[in-house]
Amino acid sequence: MGYPHSHELEVGTILSRHFGDPKARDLNTWLTYGGYEGLKKALEMEPAEITTVVKDSGLRGRGGAGFPTGLKWTFMPQEQKGPHYLCCNADESEPGAFKDREILRWVPHLLIEGCLVAARAIHAEHVYIYVRGEYFPFTNILNDAVVQAYEAGYIGENILGSGWNCDLTVHIGAGAYIAGEETGLMSSLSGGRAEPRIKPPFPAQSGVFGSPTTVNNVETLAAVPMIVVNGSDWYRQWGTEKSPGTKLWCCSGNLERPGNYELELGVSLKDVIYEVCGGAPNGKKIKAVIPGGSSTALLTADELDVPSTYEGLQEAGSSLGTASPIVLDEDVNIVRAMRRIADFYAHESCGQCVQCREGTSWVAQILRRIEVGDGRLSDLDTLYDLCEQLTGRTICVLADSVVFPLRSSLDKFRGEYEALIGGRP
Amino acid sequence: MNETTSEAINLTIDGVEVTVPKGTTVLQAAERAGVVVPHYCYHPGIPSRPAQCRMCLVEIEGQPKLQPSCVLSATDGMSILTQSDTAKEARRSVIEFLLLNHPIDCPICDAAGQCMLQDYAFETHQLESRSHEAKLVLGRDRIADDILYFADRCILCTRCVRFMRDVAGDEALLVAQRGHKAYIDTFPGKDLENEFRGNIVDVCPVGALVHEDFLFKPRSWDMDSAPSVCPGCSNGCNIDIAVKENQIVRVKPRYNADVNGFWMCDHGRKHLVMANRGSRIDLPLIRRHGELEAVHWGEALEWLSTNLPEGGSGHAVVSAFDATESLAAVRALLGRIGIEGGGYRLSRGHEAELGGFPQLKLRAERAPNAAGAELFGFGETDGLPEVSDGDTLVVVGDRLADAPADYGEGAGFFLYIGSHLSDAARNATAILPATTFAEMEGTFVNHEGRVQRFHQALVPPGVARPTWMILRRLLGLGHGEVTMLEARDAFAVAASESGRLAGLNWDEVGLKGVNPGGTAAPVAK
Amino acid sequence: MERARDVKKVHPAVVSAQAFQVADHRPVERLFEDAEGKDRRDKALSRYPEKKGALLPMLAYAQERNGWISANNMEEIALTLDLTPAYVRSVATFYTMYAKRPVGKYWIQVCTCISCHVNRGEEVFEAFLEHTGTRAGEVSDDGKWTVIEAECLGACGFATAVQVNDQYFENVTPETVPEVLAQLEKGGSEE
Repeated sequence: MGYPHSHELEVGTILSRHFGDPKARDLNTWLTYGGYEGLKKALEMEPAEITTVVKDSGLRGRGGAGFPTGLKWTFMPQEQKGPHYLCCNADESEPGAFKDREILRWVPHLLIEGCLVAARAIHAEHVYIYVRGEYFPFTNILNDAVVQAYEAGYIGENILGSGWNCDLTVHIGAGAYIAGEETGLMSSLSGGRAEPRIKPPFPAQSGVFGSPTTVNNVETLAAVPMIVVNGSDWYRQWGTEKSPGTKLWCCSGNLERPGNYELELGVSLKDVIYEVCGGAPNGKKIKAVIPGGSSTALLTADELDVPSTYEGLQEAGSSLGTASPIVLDEDVNIVRAMRRIADFYAHESCGQCVQCREGTSWVAQILRRIEVGDGRLSDLDTLYDLCEQLTGRTICVLADSVVFPLRSSLDKFRGEYEALIGGRP
Repeated sequence: MNETTSEAINLTIDGVEVTVPKGTTVLQAAERAGVVVPHYCYHPGIPSRPAQCRMCLVEIEGQPKLQPSCVLSATDGMSILTQSDTAKEARRSVIEFLLLNHPIDCPICDAAGQCMLQDYAFETHQLESRSHEAKLVLGRDRIADDILYFADRCILCTRCVRFMRDVAGDEALLVAQRGHKAYIDTFPGKDLENEFRGNIVDVCPVGALVHEDFLFKPRSWDMDSAPSVCPGCSNGCNIDIAVKENQIVRVKPRYNADVNGFWMCDHGRKHLVMANRGSRIDLPLIRRHGELEAVHWGEALEWLSTNLPEGGSGHAVVSAFDATESLAAVRALLGRIGIEGGGYRLSRGHEAELGGFPQLKLRAERAPNAAGAELFGFGETDGLPEVSDGDTLVVVGDRLADAPADYGEGAGFFLYIGSHLSDAARNATAILPATTFAEMEGTFVNHEGRVQRFHQALVPPGVARPTWMILRRLLGLGHGEVTMLEARDAFAVAASESGRLAGLNWDEVGLKGVNPGGTAAPVAK
Repeated sequence: MERARDVKKVHPAVVSAQAFQVADHRPVERLFEDAEGKDRRDKALSRYPEKKGALLPMLAYAQERNGWISANNMEEIALTLDLTPAYVRSVATFYTMYAKRPVGKYWIQVCTCISCHVNRGEEVFEAFLEHTGTRAGEVSDDGKWTVIEAECLGACGFATAVQVNDQYFENVTPETVPEVLAQLEKGGSEE
């Protein structure tokens, strides 16, 4: 169930059942909770069967893009010519997102199991879990679990007597949001600057160390064991046709009860904010919500009654992203909040593409100028134009990420900008 | 990155149909259609293609998203628009972004006039900025003892970093930091020492990397330029010599796929700029009554024709820095006056190979035309010939800078043809002012036997003339009065006098050179 | 919160994931000369098909031992992994958690990103500066403190989040800053 709070609307079955229970970190306790049953079953299945189950379950990537997981696995070469790798993306860095860290923190064995099952499906001989550098305390927990699993024969050679070998290495980053982008992650893991690269070649053709690679998010992989144990129909009892299953929500900002909650996809965003999280503290009104992490378009308080699915939020003009709503109450200055978000992206731009390197920092500079009362109305036109110039022109989508919140704030809160500008042309 | 095959595909670039081999990139295909797609990070000589400058984005008809043409493979039936509104707008905005923190110091920038940022900024009519922000100021840094880095002008295309890594095989340059704080640097205390480092200045599309010896000197539009061949060693790198006020101010490599690609070494660059130095012989001098006396050409040659002894013991010293045409003419003169043999001196140095383009090597033989000298029967010698009293001595091109001051004093007749007057040269009976290779047209034969033409870059001092012109005139006196004024004629005669060059045509040699004997070369010993 | 770090027992699978910003660093001139360094190096190399893969773990190890990564460390790592020092520096400077100059014993990173921003993140940052008597990024005179603003620490539901070396402090307010510092001082004195 949710951590640090739980709520009756939650479906705490798949990911969060043992959140808040430190004993779950220990392998022996974990086994009594039914741990590693998915791995045992997967070891008896053909790799292609595993992929089929996951494909049928409709599980979508939880890293933000929502790409169908089983389909991604089918991109790996069927004929194995050299090593295959699985990278678990635990470089959770999107402002607002803190769900993967709770999985690492409470149920590390669930993640390890998910990694192994996925590795078997894609014929990977080595799994790398790339954890963001800042997560030292949670990495330590994962490390202990990994060592325990190695020692008990769940990882390594001849896993559980099956004859199948798979290694797993935990690898940590050192402070770079862009290492969460899959090609950036691969570059970083192979000892480089976390600079995204153009595709093709796609990771499944040439990924980390030049070998076929699949990159999956922590939450995605953590959902896999239960799907394998219980089947795809079981998983589809939650959610919608296009967005099946449950999702960890990490809710932050001005909230009475911020934290992680495992909810069925499709629940109304309004319920998540008001029912589950108790709305804004101190009886304050909510001004806006950035629903899927800082890179998604913000919604006003009146726009929250939308089903929280990939398709539902898209229709509402935003995105489910990582399901990480950031709530801004009535006291929040929207321009300042946008400046803070733009600062983040300017700080995290890798600097390869000109638009992103120069544009994100220009946006932040303009917003800062407006914030301190030195703005002009023409700045708003420039900002709108920059939204165009930063969209769809770069190697990765970091530049696009600043556009979604920015454009929506200009559309929906123009008055706040104009008030700070005070009519100067 | 993109391997081409023989399979042909057809596509349209801005309405122009073009057929290219499969695997060609759209940018290369556009070039064939006569369309230059603006670009910064792409460089045809650097293998890696990060597609990061986003300047070469083009529209593919029917696709919403612009694509980088430097890495996009051309496919059959594709229709590319480089001038659509979206493509043009994307380019405009890249320039606007690049100019945000750029100091716009074109008036003092060495690259002005040859700057891809300046060119495209004008092309996209960005004369005023929408930015009201303070510019980020990073300043400048020394990255080699002869190269400076102006960080504020840098557009971070990373060509320099990738040249060092991919071509020079010496990953000594780096991008430090990230995002808008990124800049190019070396490791602390480890300035670039690679012998091909000068190429990073050439690949820089803007004025971020500059040679210190060129800094703040000429403006690009004040320079003339002539295609030439580097005399620094026997590799024969094709170069352009830039000249201002009759001084060589800069040397840049000139593309030749078979010899040096886009590159040259630093020894070559420096060697040539040094050619400006020293005082020159600018008039013919003949020794009458024991004194050297300046005379005009007609008188000098008539006098020589009468006084140059024929027969008897004699020695000849030539130079591997001289043109093939001159060496042929010297051989003809020696034949006339009955001197056999003759040699040239050759200094040798260390070698350095460009890993990513191994045809280019700073070669041990530090002269451009030893192979040419060999073609006309001159051999390499260790020192100068010993001259006995009464011998005839002919020295052409060799400056005798290291010879004892009394060298040649006892010669019966000492003919000196050259450009600089050393102490030993002053002992000559007749001194004729010759041009250096930069002041004339001619050919060099490189280490593999490739014949390459160089053009005249400088105006010679006084009445100095190419050696071939002097000697062919001298040889013609009383023998039909041949006057040879054109290098092409001198080449034709030289070719006819050498088995290996026979039948070679001046125009065919062209700007890229030819290798008449394949790779089997008459290399210097 | 201090972990006993018996480095000899580090399992190869997790050797690349050791906390590297720690208060109890044990400076060493050469990284890979003592038994511990050699062990770390060899185990890390065993986990990647290419030597270069061990670069981030090696940089992290340098910081774990010395508290920051010096140019000499980078050169030694370059030599160990057949890379150039320039390449190593380009990688080291890309990542913000690698300290390229010495920092205080306690490196306090205050998140002021969006979720912490709306929960008084900037005030918490100011409070840390005030109570440590430092300016942003500088080392306090006693060598104990360095305070910087950090981008999202991934603890948005526990705003304001503060990372000090390998520890997280969550739900920090300007008022609880002295408590955090006191706790750190206490932890420090036990060593």
